[in-house]
Amino acid sequence: MSDVFDIVMLTLLIATAVSVARARDLLAAVVIFSMYSLTMTLVWQHRGAPDVAMTEAAVGAGVTTVLFLITIARTTRREKP
Amino acid sequence: MRPWSLLLVVLVALPLVAGVATLPPHYAPDAPIHTHVGARYLERGVAETGMKNLVTAVLLNYRGFDTFIEVVVIFTALAAVLALPKGSAPMPKGSAPMPKGSAPMPKGSAPMPKGSAPMPKGSAPMPRGSGAIPKEAGAVRPREEEDPEVASDVPVSPVVRFVVRLLAPFMALFAVAMLFRGHITPGGGFQAAAVFAAVFIALGLVLGRARAARLVPVDWRPWLQGVAPLAFALIAWVGWRLTGSFLGYPIHDHTAQEAMTFVLEIGIALGGGVILARLFLEMEA
Repeated sequence: MSDVFDIVMLTLLIATAVSVARARDLLAAVVIFSMYSLTMTLVWQHRGAPDVAMTEAAVGAGVTTVLFLITIARTTRREKP
Repeated sequence: MRPWSLLLVVLVALPLVAGVATLPPHYAPDAPIHTHVGARYLERGVAETGMKNLVTAVLLNYRGFDTFIEVVVIFTALAAVLALPKGSAPMPKGSAPMPKGSAPMPKGSAPMPKGSAPMPKGSAPMPRGSGAIPKEAGAVRPREEEDPEVASDVPVSPVVRFVVRLLAPFMALFAVAMLFRGHITPGGGFQAAAVFAAVFIALGLVLGRARAARLVPVDWRPWLQGVAPLAFALIAWVGWRLTGSFLGYPIHDHTAQEAMTFVLEIGIALGGGVILARLFLEMEA
């Protein structure tokens, strides 16, 4: 059971990481990156590190997402080809 | 180009995969992290530090210097952001540099005298904290968008606004709980700081920057931004006076030690939260 959770979560991590790198739409990239952080939060919690999980949830999924979004709002949404 | 990138990826990935493959299995009792220094922390941590939460014991006691420098790094990051020249980045909404007093950079062509307050306060002669500026007040100023007190209100969905306003007190309460219960439960200063900043940013997005900015008194901001390193320096000095070693804790005087830990945690929470919030304000401006 525990292995299944790990496998699903790590697969999701890799999938989201690759999607972030491939996304041309930076807004989509930020949203997917936030999902990456949320998955990472679950992995931390599962590994028995609630302190790190909390930090990851608040900083990774919360604050940095907002900062990225503000950056996109002030620059441009499309990546230069 | 492409074959070379692929080669580079393979060259980087191979040692990494090989390294991961040699890691001991998860939860293996004889893994180095469980036998080396971690075992000592687990066995003697409570007796040696007198702290109930071993994570706190490692953060503030065994690895106190690391945490000190970490706090300084966060502070330095904010200082670096504040030192960036305004108006050099491409700005879609008006290319005028903002009237910030804090950036120690020569301002572009801002026609305003630079205020001495190191805060996003314009030099307009209005009473501090009067965020509800009447419309005609904007007519006095040359360009309204230069006034940081005027919220650049993006239309927010009523659902989002309602949910954020509903959840904000509970998030703040959660942060306070993490701060004050951090010595026995997971959490502590850094986590509380992040959640405090998240509350602030969520409110700032929903209510407008100006109203959120008023949550932190302007006069206190320079001190609040530096309060984490200052608290650490103070506690390190107190520990030095009490025990003879820098950042030492008087483990036999339980009250003194708890008080020192408490000051540190509050300093980290306040300083970290204000720094994150200031980053947000700085980017929005």
